[in-house]
Parts: sequence; C-alpha cells; structure tokens
Amino acid sequence: MAEADRPGEDEAQPARCPCASALRALADRLGDWFPFGKAPAIILVLTALAAAWLAAHPVEKTQADLRFWTFADTHYFAYLKALPSFEAKHPGKRVDIQFVHWTAVTSRLRAAFWTDLDVPDMVEVEISQAGSFFRGPAEEVGFVDLRPRLEAEGLLDRMVKTRFAPYTYHDRRTGEDHLYGLPHDVHPVMLAYRRDLFEAEGVDVASLETWDDFVRLGRRLTIPDKRYMLDFADTGGGGFEVALYQRDGGLFDAAGECTMDSPVALETLLWYVPLVAGPDRIADDPGWGQSWVKAIEDGYLLTWTCPDWRSKSAEQQIPRMAGKMALMPLPAVRPGGRRTSSWGGTMLGITRKSRHPDLAWALAKHFYLNPDELAERFRETNILPALKDAWKHAAINEPRPYWSGQPIGTLYARLAEDVPAQYTSPYIDFAKSKMSEIVAACSSYYDKHGADGFEAFARERLKAGADEVRNVMRRNPF
Amino acid sequence: MLRQRLFRWQHRYAPYLFTAPFVITFLVFALYPMAKSLVLAFYVTVGPKSSVFVGLENFRFLLSDPSFYVAVKNTAVFALFSVFLQLPLSLGLATLLNAKFLRLRNAWRFGFFSPYLLGQVFVAVLFSVIFAPRLGLLNQVLSSMALVPSNKDWLGEAERVMPALVMTALWMYVGFNMIYFLAALQAVDKDLYDAAAVDGADAIRRFRHVTLPSIKPVAVFVVVLSTIGSFQLFELPYLMLQNTSGPEQAGLTVVMYLYQKGFEAGDLGYASVVGWTLALGVLVLSLVQMLLAGTWRKEK
Repeated sequence: MAEADRPGEDEAQPARCPCASALRALADRLGDWFPFGKAPAIILVLTALAAAWLAAHPVEKTQADLRFWTFADTHYFAYLKALPSFEAKHPGKRVDIQFVHWTAVTSRLRAAFWTDLDVPDMVEVEISQAGSFFRGPAEEVGFVDLRPRLEAEGLLDRMVKTRFAPYTYHDRRTGEDHLYGLPHDVHPVMLAYRRDLFEAEGVDVASLETWDDFVRLGRRLTIPDKRYMLDFADTGGGGFEVALYQRDGGLFDAAGECTMDSPVALETLLWYVPLVAGPDRIADDPGWGQSWVKAIEDGYLLTWTCPDWRSKSAEQQIPRMAGKMALMPLPAVRPGGRRTSSWGGTMLGITRKSRHPDLAWALAKHFYLNPDELAERFRETNILPALKDAWKHAAINEPRPYWSGQPIGTLYARLAEDVPAQYTSPYIDFAKSKMSEIVAACSSYYDKHGADGFEAFARERLKAGADEVRNVMRRNPF
Repeated sequence: MLRQRLFRWQHRYAPYLFTAPFVITFLVFALYPMAKSLVLAFYVTVGPKSSVFVGLENFRFLLSDPSFYVAVKNTAVFALFSVFLQLPLSLGLATLLNAKFLRLRNAWRFGFFSPYLLGQVFVAVLFSVIFAPRLGLLNQVLSSMALVPSNKDWLGEAERVMPALVMTALWMYVGFNMIYFLAALQAVDKDLYDAAAVDGADAIRRFRHVTLPSIKPVAVFVVVLSTIGSFQLFELPYLMLQNTSGPEQAGLTVVMYLYQKGFEAGDLGYASVVGWTLALGVLVLSLVQMLLAGTWRKEK
C-alpha cells in the first residue's frame, strides 16, 4: 500500500509544535553544513553556547573591603554579632566573614600562598597548623609580621606572653624572631570531673594536689573496661602534650630546635605510659563526639582534661550533665608546682596580599582586644581571651549552673598567667605525628612487657624519632 | 562554492578539532605535570615558588628514609591481601552467582556490587564508626560474645590497623571484581563443559581445566588492575585514620606519604621522587605479573 493511501495517518500524528519544527529544520540545515552528522554538530553548537554563556557571566568578585576566614563555628557566630559595631565605626567599609573548615583553611591557604593565588585579608589558623606556614625564606611567609604594630601600641605586655610563642618564627639565617599571629586565647587546662560520682565515692578534690595523689585515687576507683579515672590516650595526642607542656617540655625549643628526646620528654613518657597501658592503667580514650558524650553520661570517665574551649563543648553536647560537673586545677607534678597546662589555640594573621592592612589591623583589634566584646563572647564560647584587661569583666566572673555554680572564667583566669609556652617550628606537624607514634609504640611495649626494659626502649624510641625529625629539618636549605 | 570550501576545510581540520580536547587536557594535566615533576625531583622546594637545586639529594634521602620503607611495606601487604584474598573471594562469588540453581541471581549480584557504588569516602566514614571503640558495631557484637573488651580500639592499635583496612576494602571491592569474573565466566564456551563431562571430568577438574584457562585473560587483567589500585591506596586510610599515619605508621601508604610530603610539607621535589619511584615500581610489578601469566607467550 502506498504511504499516501494509509487511512487516517494524518489524524493519528500529534500536532507539531512550531518551535520544535523550527529547531529540527535548523538542525537539519546545520547537518548539511557539517559533514559528520547532525548530532556532533548539535554538540559542538551547545558547547560553544555554554562556553559563551560562561564567558559572559564570570563569577562575581566579592565587593567587601576585607575578607576574613575563620574555622570555628563559635568564633564565626560571635564575630557576626560583633561586626555591626565595627562597620558603624568605619562607615562605607564592608567585611565578609567566611566560615571555612579547618583542614581547608590549612590546605587551601597554604596552596594559595605557594602559588600566589587569591587569599583572604585575615585568617584564623589553629595552633598546631600555624608553624607549617612559616617554612621557607621569612620574606616569603604569607603573613605580615605583627611585632612592629604590637610593640608600637604596647600590646605585648597586655596579653599573656607565652601565647605569642606558637606564632613566632625564629629565622635561623638572620637570628630574627618574626611574630605572625595575634593570639586569640590562652586555653588553660583544668580537670573536669563528675562531681556527683566523686561525692558518692567520698572524694575531696582539694586533697588531689599532685598527680601522685590523683593516680593513687585512680587506682582505687578504676574498674577495668567499666570505669576509668581519666581520658588520656595510649596514642599520645592531646593528653600527652598536656603532660609534656605542664613539665615545661615541648617538641621544639624557642630557637626552633627539636627537643623530642630531652630528659623532660623521657620523664613525661615514663610517667604517662603506665597510666594508659598495662594492667594498672587508669586512663582510657573515649574518642570524640557521641562516644565522648556517652562515656561521660555513663560514668565511664570520672575526669577529663578540660581546656576552656572544651567546657563549652560539654555544655552544648552533654546538657544532661548540667549541675553534676565541676572543674579543678590539674594536679601538680611536684608539690607547689604548676597546676595547669595548655591545649589548643588560634592565631589571627593578616596576609601580605591584603590591600587594606590597616583596616585589617583595626578589625583584629576590634575582635581580639576590645574587653567588652571579649567578655560578651566569653558567655558564648567560654574561651578566656589572651587580653588580660578583659578578665576583670563581670561576664568572666559569673557563676555557671552547669558547672555546679563555679565561676569558671575566674578559675581559668587564675591559672592563665601560668600557662606554659608552646614553641613551634615549620616541622611541628611531622614532630607531632612522630611523638604520637612513639607514645603508641611505648604503650604497646608496656602492654606486652610491663616495666621490664621499658626505660631503655622509651629512650631509644625518643632518640630515633627526634633524629628522624632532625634529618628532615636538615634538608631545609632556606 | 562556499559550501564546498567549508566541507574541504572541515575534512582537513576536523580530526584535529575533535582530538584537541583530549590532547590539550593530556598535555596540560598529564604530560606537563609529569615532565615538571621529573625536573622537581632534583630540587628541594617550599611550594613551587621557593626551590633550590640539590642534584640527587632527594633520591639519596629516599633510600635512607625509614618512613618511606614503612609506607612501601604497608602498601605491599595491602596489595598482597588484595590479590590473594580479595580476588579468590571475588572469583568464588562469581562462580556461585553464575550457578544455574541460584534464585534471585540479579538481586544477589546487585547486592554484592552495591558497596562499590558508595564510594571510598562514604565507606571510610561508615567503617570508622563500625570500628569505633565502645560504641562501634564490631565491638558491640564481639564484646557481647565476650571475645574482646568493648573498648578495643581497632584503628588505634598498630597490629589491627591493616586488618581493618583490608576488611574495609574487601567489603567494598569483592563485588566489583566479581563483575569482571562473572562476565568472563558467562563467556566460557558451554560445549567445553559438555565435552569435559563426557570425558568424565568432575566439577573440580572442569573448573581447573576448562574454567580457569578460559577466564585467564580476564584474571590477569583483574590481578594487574587490583595491584595497581592497591598501590594507589589513599582515601580509605587517610579518612579512617583521620589524616594521620595511624599508630606506629601502621596505616601509612606510599600515596599518603607522597601527599604528606608534597601537599602538607610543601616538599614537592621529594614528593616527586616518591611518585616516580611508585610509578616505576608498579610498572615493573605489572610487567612481571604479565610475564608470569604468559601474556606475551605465543599460542602453539
């Protein structure tokens, strides 16, 4: 049957859209001009159109005068609140505060510094990462040296001195010290404890003056696999560094030399490992997040190391413990010794590429050196500022119901001046990971062999780790 | 006239235009970085801006670097488990799922393949939770049977890190490799089985003398692919160990080490040396595997 003779075919076909017909006709014409067929021609045209559209709509550049990265959500929200008063003092100036994940702050910023890409005007960097920015020739470090500004305004004495150490870079070629960060905090360490459980056990925390007292009590209260006295980890990390700094030890000294195998480090290791390994251990690491929350709620942990920032984490994440928790100073290593240590920290740096360094400095002072703003922020973060003037503010001295009515700001402030220095190096990351390996290896040894040969093993591991760090440092030709 | 000229122009230049995207991408993102990394291998750098020529110092340092040897050892152990544990399991599963008696075959196949669809990041996060001390699923199950204490830290103890990584990779990749074997099994000539059965061969002999020789090309391909993939291991340990090498560097792999040196420490020169050593090592290993498998042997 001829096609034209098919009955009712015209009626069966749907009405054609004029646009579709026009497009089809265009595609047919295009196919005539393009020898590889209709489909490749359409792909080519679409690609060209997409490229043209993208070229015509470039990503808009921010209109802000200052761009500021922070990695902590508590800081971010606090700065957003404090920003309007700054913008009111500087009419016509706009600040763009961006919340960036802390690993991204480090990796993206480092890559941007290395490759001369766009960087923000101001950045908050976590203490353990700060040193890694100070590698290479001092003139190529991406941050501005803040020392001249701090000295000119007499600020060095108004802040806790030891807190400048982690952000100071000792240039071995010139012997000069460069200060690249304004300290955000002090982070004194106390011990948080389950007050209700301690009272039930008849424990008087005032009697826990030294670690010896504490460990003795720990041996009595610890029930293996059910209840532990403390949250130190057998892989090192925060707990070990807290103990090391309390003894005035560290991974590096003020001149940037590796001190991982110093007598203090050995003494700390020999003291620490039997607490986290072997049959008489009194500590267990509950991890972070939900696992940590449950360990405290269940009474699995009786005490935990608590720098000021962690006290806010507890309030937010473990609300059920309100009124059952309290804080005490760290037990001293020896009678009359230091009752605190340091854990964590943040610096604020101004980048060399900032087009408005003076405005950035003004904002830095507004966020970090304004006692009223700082005191208000303490209510939201529990973070004791490095500026000593702010400690007298009423907000710092308020009793906190969560902490059994203790004025925690005052408790932290009493210890703040005694916080030890943490010296840094561009190799701080590497040294920290080596030290964690050493603690883990020693814990494993102690689990298997106990005290037999332990001191020699620990000394040898410290030496090997320190030598490895020094070998890597020696490769630095800058 | 114009149309004819246009057609001539297109015929002359179209091949270049069509291959241009690949060629440009390859030149910019593969060939140039490779050449650059070869040059960088002779420099100590802090990022690309500051560099000092050091000749063969990076190669000398590599030979005396204990962390590099640890990374190679860990990666090799992982690769051995991949080849000698994962692939036999994949083949076993494929054989099972190829059996005629099995019901819901497609559902089983999808079930075993689906972990691969999740991606390494998700799987790493999932298994970090499973291996967590106290609240982790594994500890909950094992401690309820009194096999281990509930606070066993699988990713915090040196001797348990590698088994944890192997178990995670096993869960993720067994189904993926199974698909290759399944395709190969389905392509085996059924007449060969019939002939073998007529000759009195039992199931084991049929598998050994018919199935294995028939799937050998695919098996060699999977072994080489799996070895190369194992030596590129990065995301799983990086995420499960939270950007650390794990206790006593038990989770440090060669690519992780390269990343740490190049992108965290900024020592791009040394990272280049690590990268080239890895590439040459994998190349040699793959050639040896193919040689042993008789890939280039002429058929008689």
